[in-house]
This record gives sequence, C-alpha cells and structure tokens, in this order.
Amino acid sequence: MKNVLYTIFAISICLMLGKLANYLLAALPASLYGMIIYALFLQLNWFSPDKITKTNQWFIKHMGVCLVPAGMGIINHFQLIQQHGIALVVIIFSSTFILLTVIGYLSERYLITPDNIKSKTPTGSR
Amino acid sequence: MLTTFIVNSPILASIVFTLITIATYQFASACQQKWQYIWLNPMLFTISILVPFLLLIDINYQEYSQTTEILNLLLEPAIVALGLPLYQQFKQIRFYWREMTAILVLGITVVITVSFLLAMWLIKAPEIAIALSLKSVTTPIGITLTEQLFGDSSITAFAILIAGLFGALLGPQWLSFIGINSAKAQGLAIGSASHVIGTAVLVRKSAEHGAYSSVALILSAILTALISPWLIPLLQQLFN
Repeated sequence: MKNVLYTIFAISICLMLGKLANYLLAALPASLYGMIIYALFLQLNWFSPDKITKTNQWFIKHMGVCLVPAGMGIINHFQLIQQHGIALVVIIFSSTFILLTVIGYLSERYLITPDNIKSKTPTGSR
Repeated sequence: MLTTFIVNSPILASIVFTLITIATYQFASACQQKWQYIWLNPMLFTISILVPFLLLIDINYQEYSQTTEILNLLLEPAIVALGLPLYQQFKQIRFYWREMTAILVLGITVVITVSFLLAMWLIKAPEIAIALSLKSVTTPIGITLTEQLFGDSSITAFAILIAGLFGALLGPQWLSFIGINSAKAQGLAIGSASHVIGTAVLVRKSAEHGAYSSVALILSAILTALISPWLIPLLQQLFN
C-alpha cells in the first residue's frame, strides 16, 4: 500500500513538472514531458525504481481501459466507414508496410553492433 | 425508464457507465489471456460490445463520453507511467541513440507524409488525414497528439489498433521475406509500426527483439510528438 501511494505521488509530481515544462517550452504535450522527467528521475534514483516497479506495471497493464472512451467515438463515424472503409484499410495497410520496410532496411544496414558491446547487451527486460 | 433515471443523475450515470466500461474491459482481457489470440484485442472487443449496447439503450456518444470523463483524465498519468519502460531501456538506447534517432526520424517523416497524402487523395477530409498520419504511435500518445492538431481522435484510436494488428500478425513474416532477420532491425521496425501490440508478439521471439521493440515504441512516440506539429501543418498547406 505504501508503495502504491509512493508511485502515485511520483507520477503526480512528474506530471505537474510536465505541465510546467509544457507551459514554458510548448513543443511536446505535458504528459510526454512528464514521462521523460519520470524516466530521468528514476535514472538519477530520485525516485526508487524498486518501489515503483510493481504498481507501475499494474498501471501499464490496465491502461487500455482509459482508451475505450476515445475509441467509442467511432459510433459517430458509421457513415464514414460505409463510404471509405476500404480506403481507410488500404491507407493504414500500405503505410504500415512502408514504415516496416524503411525502418527494417535502414536498421539492418546501419545499426552494426561492435563485438565488445554485443556481449553486454542487456536482456531480460520486457 | 431505467435509462432516463440513470442519465438524469450525473453522478449515478458516471458510476454506472464507468463501471460497465471497466467490467467489459476486464472480461475482454480475461478472454484474451485465456485464448491468447492477437486479434482478440481487449479494446476492440470492449468497443464492439459497448457500441451495440449504447445504441440499444439509446445513449449517444456525447452522453457516454461525459459520463466516462474520469477514464479520459487518467490518460495523462498513464502516459507518465510509460517512463518506467523508457528508464529500463536507457542502457539500450545509449549505445546507438544517434543512429536510431536518425532512422526513426526518417521513417516517421515518410509514414506521416505518405498517410496524409493518401488520405487527402482518397478521403479528402483533413481531420481524418491527421488522424491517419498519427497512427504509428502508441494509442494514448496518438490520441493526445491528434487532439492537439484538431484531428479526429476516435479515428486515430482505430487506425492505431488496425496498424498494430497488421504489424503484429504479418510484420515478422514480411521482414524475413525481404531479408531482414536481425533482432535489432525486426524489433525497431515492428516497435515503431505496431507499438504495444507488435511488441507483445515480438517478446515471444526473444528478449532482444522485445527490448528493441519497446525502445522503438517509446522513442518513435517522442519523435512523432516533435515532428508532427510542424510537418502536418506544412502538408496541410499543400491543400489550401
């Protein structure tokens, strides 16, 4: 329970700082600034990664439910889907495959691991 | 009768509809855990149950979204919580953040341009074109960015879902087919095109696949947030 409150506190602080950063610098949405600040504070050990990990993973696991209301907006778009359904799927399909190909090809070509780093590549994280 | 009674009391309506949403989502997640099908996505499942349900009891979208506002508000802290995987991948990013940033910037610019132009050509509606061009990031961030640029976020949510499913179901085979086999390249490609859904599938291949996929998923979200606010208005000017 203590760790749950700790995690909520940590996230709230970072979101507040994110709002401030968004107000001062614009550019990124406040929540993204918050995310970067949160990662930074964990890296600096200002918030303890051990204490937050469990609750945080629970949040991430269940965050999908927060997206349902936004997705429900589709209820207003039946006409659009009737008219342009195929076009929508074609656009999504083709651009996804273009992106896969571009990124896959470039990283295969330009991300070459020196042998000394390869053995140290951390694994096991999700 | 019952519906009007519930809708007439805002607090009761909020509690009832939020609970219905959460319960349906939990049920959908349980189903996916049980059968492990990729296409049995909890969000898709929940929406396809709730849409007919709302139509049946005659609740329009505006009423529904007002009563479930609390879930929408939780989106911001949920995005902040994604800082944990970012922190966990810092070590990975450190080795080649320059190369990865360059590759992802190029990929994102191409995908935004292609989807925006295709959508303007085929559908001719700017708010749909904006929604479609932001479909290669993780859903909460895609929705936030679309709203910032005045696109239609429900279309984004769906497009992201479909892009995720395509990439997760066909991506690995496609990449092997065109001769891209390293864990790094496959991870980055799937992570940037199909975000969480793709990552969930790739982790089963190897931990390295999963690690690069989550790096790409977060890095490409940040980069898209930086690129889209000036690239999309630029593309919009072409059509004025």
